[in-house]
Amino acid sequence: MMFETVKRQLAKLGCTMYELTEVSVTAWEFYFIRHKLDQNRTVKTRTIEAKLYRLSEDGQTLGSASGSISPTASEEEIGKKLENLYYQASFVKNPVYMLTDRPVPAIASERVDVSAIAENFLCAMQAVPETATERINSYEVFVREISKTFENSNGVTYSVTYPDSMIEVVVNASKDGHEIELYRNFTSGVCDAEKLTRDVQSALRFGRDRLIAQPTPKLGKADVIFSSADAVELYKYFAARTNAELLVMKLSDWMPGKQAAAYTTGDRISVFAAAKLENSSKSFPVDAEGALIRERYLIRDGVAENIWGNRQMCRYLGEESSNVYNFVVSGGTATEEELHSGDYLELVEFSDFQVDVIGGDLMGEIRLGYWHHDGKTDVITGGSVSGQMQDVIPSMRCSKETEQYDTAVIPKETRLYGLSITGIV
Amino acid sequence: MYPMKAPFSAYLDGIAPALRKISDALGETYDYVSILSTDSVGFSIGMSQRKKSVNNETLTTERGTVVRVYRNGLYSEYAFNELDPSDPSAAVREIRTALDAQLALLKATDTQVFDTAALPDEPLQLRVEKETGRLPENEDMEALVSFLSNLSDRGMAEVEGAVECSVRGSSTHISKLFLTKNRDLRQSYVQSEGAIAVMAPNAAGEMKMAYKGVSGLGGPEIFDGLTDVLEQLPKMMKDLLRAEKIVPGEYEIITDPGITGLIAHEAFGHGVEMDMFVKERALGADYIGKRVGSENVTMHEGALCAESVTAYAFDDEGTLAGDVVEIDRGILRAGISDALSALRLGTEPTGNGKRQNFAHKAYARMTNTMFDSGTDSLDDMIASVSHGYLLSGSESGMEDPKHWGIQCIISRGYEIRDGKLTGKVVSPVIMTGYVPDLLGNISMRSADRVVEGNGACGKGYKEWVKVADGGPYLKTKARLG
Repeated sequence: MMFETVKRQLAKLGCTMYELTEVSVTAWEFYFIRHKLDQNRTVKTRTIEAKLYRLSEDGQTLGSASGSISPTASEEEIGKKLENLYYQASFVKNPVYMLTDRPVPAIASERVDVSAIAENFLCAMQAVPETATERINSYEVFVREISKTFENSNGVTYSVTYPDSMIEVVVNASKDGHEIELYRNFTSGVCDAEKLTRDVQSALRFGRDRLIAQPTPKLGKADVIFSSADAVELYKYFAARTNAELLVMKLSDWMPGKQAAAYTTGDRISVFAAAKLENSSKSFPVDAEGALIRERYLIRDGVAENIWGNRQMCRYLGEESSNVYNFVVSGGTATEEELHSGDYLELVEFSDFQVDVIGGDLMGEIRLGYWHHDGKTDVITGGSVSGQMQDVIPSMRCSKETEQYDTAVIPKETRLYGLSITGIV
Repeated sequence: MYPMKAPFSAYLDGIAPALRKISDALGETYDYVSILSTDSVGFSIGMSQRKKSVNNETLTTERGTVVRVYRNGLYSEYAFNELDPSDPSAAVREIRTALDAQLALLKATDTQVFDTAALPDEPLQLRVEKETGRLPENEDMEALVSFLSNLSDRGMAEVEGAVECSVRGSSTHISKLFLTKNRDLRQSYVQSEGAIAVMAPNAAGEMKMAYKGVSGLGGPEIFDGLTDVLEQLPKMMKDLLRAEKIVPGEYEIITDPGITGLIAHEAFGHGVEMDMFVKERALGADYIGKRVGSENVTMHEGALCAESVTAYAFDDEGTLAGDVVEIDRGILRAGISDALSALRLGTEPTGNGKRQNFAHKAYARMTNTMFDSGTDSLDDMIASVSHGYLLSGSESGMEDPKHWGIQCIISRGYEIRDGKLTGKVVSPVIMTGYVPDLLGNISMRSADRVVEGNGACGKGYKEWVKVADGGPYLKTKARLG
């Protein structure tokens, strides 16, 4: 109904290039303190996102402007809003590109039962084993059914419905009056109770270890193993370097054929763009611009192979567009024995581990780690780790085994050599 | 002074009678009902050399309604954005049906309730329209796009080695209506922010970014300040391009007002959000009345503290804005709270109940968080340092309210030896430490004070809201890596 109103107004304006996306969200949310319900919430929203394009008279530039249309907007308000967008598009001058025109095959709609998914989360959390000293502090459950209907002026159209869930969990561990907490934020399609239980139990175990952690020694330089979800940031760096926008902006030079680094002893990893990934919160075969997601290697054996991104930026590079929401990393060759040889620091908890995809700097405050040295293991906390991706990629080693973190499948363990460690003692 | 007031939304005025009927009808079966309805319009513009965009949305644009109801010790909310004002009873039916379905699940799972009392509902009528220079919805967008695009061109020309210069600006005209049985609060104001980021590679091929922004309570006239910002970027980039890696260690530091604000935000911003007290997640709860910093530390928090991007008249739960002295000469005095946390803790709400938008839950969140100024001069502060760094360029931070750890990622450190800047620059810098040590070592503070409000703040990794923070230059000690 709203689509038709919008299209009628677009025709009045003479706008012949557009993309419309209607997004409907039904969300069930539950907030807990310990295991007692703090608040329950339902969210029900519907919005049309409109992007209007305008070709210049000489055909050299294409402008665009976008905005949301509220379902409570009157036809007059809709008309005014679209008129503004169409006017704004006339002076936003980008080199010309075209909207997608390849038809999208019908996508089988997924039935999403937010009540059933929410029930699984609630039951799973209530069943996590706790002790007097290791327990759940609080958690927030978000279950969403998202439905999108897309249509552009070239007649490309699709509808997709999918589940999108998130649970934030805070756990405590205490000993002799001293209590610590660990924070987790898990995203997924639906509730995987078994994995959730395993992950929360792992957090509780790390909590127990943090209670006995000693200040991080002033190591100066050390080899570091990343074995938790923070490692996803390392691999996002690889994927981002082949993103069309970074390439067009000259913020990356990983064009197809470019080797990721001057490899020495490191594993030459591959990054594969996947349309669907089981229980990913973004498992659908089409992107926001109506382009089918092309499954392909972004990086193969350490060499950039394909670029990805939106239609505008891909067009500037002469490539067909396709966004990437899920990726799978492979190519690790290290055995457990190789990864765990010599002295190394295994870091499993950070305040906020970051990798700058433009500059390549990586850094984070250490909340929990294990310093394996001289045949023994010390549990450590505090200080920070830092380094440069371009310095560590040549020798980076990865396990063959992989682990999925929502939209990313990455090596279970990654060893980076010679990172800077700011210790405390 | 600003020449006009930001008018309150005609749409919200129009639906207010229907919302009142919804509130009255729900009041027949619930012990407390509140309604927050929003109608905020704006734009965001991005201009770079290779990509130009205009979007009529910002982080704070929205139109929708959230209804909070209370019964049998439990608070429940229903958020929606479709409303037929001629048929409020349809909305009432929808709300009841949706929340009853959730209650059925809670009963089936034998879920216990965190039993809470009913919120008070003191009578109050308020209509506030804050001043602004211009309104985003009336802006000459073509002229503004041209102005920002020109800044991008100038950035490319004036900054050595620049490969890209990205300029952005966003402005939002916010209107919010809060209703309960006894309250009718309406407010409107305009907030704007802009920034310039220039990127250039150093000799090793690593991309460096020089970044600075402007922000404030007001309309697109705020963007005029970007011209001054641009003039600072060539030197900033030169410093970044010749920067070395820092030798990790503990140093004397001087923080510029941006870093001072980052410390305020991460140290005793998140750490005294009192919903964390309710969950026993914050060490601060045990330190009220105790020393957490030196005599040189006085810190304020509240929407009334500064006319910044977060200077509202009332929060998203209908509590009037406040100005809380969190730390008074080193002693922790108070935290900041949303209405429900205050009720549960037996304290007064401070006007810090904020939502990302109508569709999100209200939490205790920061507004303006800032250190008080002192009387020292920056020159004297530098002269007092034997070996350390003047830190500048706030990038990001992370809190740890349970253990008072702090992480700040900082763009640049300027070396000081024997009381003088040596000209050596280090980048990037990660500052970590234990908050009471960091604040306990504050020995000097400058006389000036700056408040900045670019970007957004999350609670954990979600719930993004506008905040501002700042203060003077501070001298302390920290671990840098």
